[in-house]
Amino acid sequence: MKKMLAMLLTGAMVLSLAACGNSSSGNAPAQSSSGAEESKEMGGGSVTLNVTTTFAGEDTNAANYQEAIAAWQEETGNKINDASGTSAETFKARVISDFEMGSEPDVLFYFNGVDSNPFVEAGKVVSIEEIRKTYPDYATNMKDGMMGASPVDGKNYSVPVNGYWEGLFVNKEVCQAAGIEIPSADTTWDEFMDICQQVKDAGYTPIATSFAEIPHYWFEFCIYNYLTPATHNVLPGSVDDEHGKAWVNGIGDMKTLYEKGFLPDNTLSATDGETFQLFIDGKAAFLIDGSWKVGGIEGATDDVDNFTVTYVPGKNDRKSTDIIGGLSSGWYITKKAWDDPEKQKACVEFISYMTSDEMVSKFASVSATALKNGTQVDESQLSSLAVAGLDMVEGATGMASAVQDQVTQEERVPVFNGMPDIVTGKKDIAEAIAELLDLVAAGKTE
Amino acid sequence: MSSNIYKNKKPIIFFLVPAFAFLAIFLYYPFLQNILNSFKVINNLGSSAKGWNDPWFTNYVELCKDENIRVALVNTVKMIAATIIGQLGIAIVLSLMVDNIKRGQKFFRTVYFFPIVIAATALGLLFNLVFLYDKGMLNQLRELFGAVKLVDFKDNSHAMLTMMIPVTWQYVGFYFIILITGLNNISDDIYEAATIDGASRLQRVRYISLPLLHNVICTCGVLAVTGALKVFDLPWIMFPKGMPSNSTWLTGTYMYYHAFESHNVDYSSAISVLIVILGVVTAKIVNAVFKEKDY
Repeated sequence: MKKMLAMLLTGAMVLSLAACGNSSSGNAPAQSSSGAEESKEMGGGSVTLNVTTTFAGEDTNAANYQEAIAAWQEETGNKINDASGTSAETFKARVISDFEMGSEPDVLFYFNGVDSNPFVEAGKVVSIEEIRKTYPDYATNMKDGMMGASPVDGKNYSVPVNGYWEGLFVNKEVCQAAGIEIPSADTTWDEFMDICQQVKDAGYTPIATSFAEIPHYWFEFCIYNYLTPATHNVLPGSVDDEHGKAWVNGIGDMKTLYEKGFLPDNTLSATDGETFQLFIDGKAAFLIDGSWKVGGIEGATDDVDNFTVTYVPGKNDRKSTDIIGGLSSGWYITKKAWDDPEKQKACVEFISYMTSDEMVSKFASVSATALKNGTQVDESQLSSLAVAGLDMVEGATGMASAVQDQVTQEERVPVFNGMPDIVTGKKDIAEAIAELLDLVAAGKTE
Repeated sequence: MSSNIYKNKKPIIFFLVPAFAFLAIFLYYPFLQNILNSFKVINNLGSSAKGWNDPWFTNYVELCKDENIRVALVNTVKMIAATIIGQLGIAIVLSLMVDNIKRGQKFFRTVYFFPIVIAATALGLLFNLVFLYDKGMLNQLRELFGAVKLVDFKDNSHAMLTMMIPVTWQYVGFYFIILITGLNNISDDIYEAATIDGASRLQRVRYISLPLLHNVICTCGVLAVTGALKVFDLPWIMFPKGMPSNSTWLTGTYMYYHAFESHNVDYSSAISVLIVILGVVTAKIVNAVFKEKDY
């Protein structure tokens, strides 16, 4: 009897293990590296595409994306296996390892900067140039020069949807209380310094920023002030060349901001969230951030009309109306899908659908795009802050993409993480930049 | 015939294999691979190695020179000390006091244990609000008592203390529950006999409770020290990236930073090897210090 019981228990355990195996594979259908047989609908002749994007979680376009793919599936009879994920480091790791293991998706919406280098270098995605040899109309509604060329070989591999811009967000109430004019397209950097001094004298914090966590935006504009839209996006060869000197001077200006007391008292220990709250609560006047912050401010305040966005005042050859912006993500077709005759056409059709003028306008809203015809946005549906953002981009005289996007996270460490030591004088600016450039050089030789 | 099932040990092995296989695949193999990774060049999470470091022990040389690792090790030692004194010490005092009251034991058990059931990330956010510079609870209280200047509880001079307080507070209840269970296992007869012999409350604690609780305290000590070596989530929420000015690194947070933030995966692997070595050595020392006794 007991022997029978033991056998029964053993059998139950084996069955439960088998069941676990089945359920786990059943729970992960979307990102599975389905083979050809899995990719095709049986008998229907329609195609199943494995698609990975960053339109998930709290991404403002997650709902737009779901609507779009549902409509495309209904229209074409094709099927989408969606494996989108929030754009975090684990998501990036998953994408990179999928490519490494040969289980990459057919279509991918992903970053076009250094993050894409591993699979571009490995030849695992198809260039726009190659796609156009077979499909000449592919992405012809986009400006080629704005598509976001790969840092690897300067070729376009992805078709962008929505981009970003960076600007100076302003708390109007604080400006009014301090008796100052809101900076405009004509305000110079020196005038801006005077404005900051007046804000400080009135008992407010002029600039809301955390140099401990996110010095990125001020780094970008302070360096930009010593360069131009045409030259900004070039990494220095050394600390002593033109770009190197621009970096030293730009970071020197950041140090001046700190020394003059224009930053929050706890800028070297606060998080970005804390300093943003200062701005929202009417304790700080200015904040540099990206187009994504429009939604953030709208969500954080009941009085969005109290906020506006304008140009970051410039100096030297950079006009105040020269902005930072670009298109940092786009749609890729993988080589694996391109070489599959069943999937090739479906991939091209899907991306063409997702990057049509209408769809891009819907996804982009207030952010920058590469559309030749521009976006078709209904301004009456937007907040005054969002409209101010659109006006700023329309009035821009030049645009350069963020130079930090050319530098990996590891290479940024000496300058970005070292910023508290730099602004307090514990570390020499030129030395920190030299360390960053050494890491960049080491990365290229590996 | 029916007793054969107890003599035949083969089924036991069959039942042990799945757990062993699970550990082998998800713990031992990754650990061995991690050691190999620490000698290679890996610049992205998920990407394969670009080859061996030149020389292969580069990361370990870097570890010896890295100022932040030194900070992380010192802070980890401080955290161990805070854990033993704060968590275990407070838990012993609380459990002895609660054991000596006749009413409300259950209430205090629940109250002290409660922080354990809250996620560390939620606690991190909660304590961020407590220690916030502008509008933080502590600064508001100070203002109420007439303070004019705000205190930055996260600056260089306060950061470690600010980090240790919530970490300590979170686990006091855990050790409290273990210790109070140990105290409940001590027979009332012994206390009664001591009382008849004229022992005071303090003497009963000193000569009965503490000696009979020795083994439980030892177990708690080992758990506390090994727990302090692994602490990560709450410090990371409150002090990401070693803020401020690289002064709050712990071995765990520094390893995570290199893996997920700076993408220096191979160096992160070297740090994790160091953590394992540190863990094994510390466990040996702790086991020697908190040696259990046979009664």
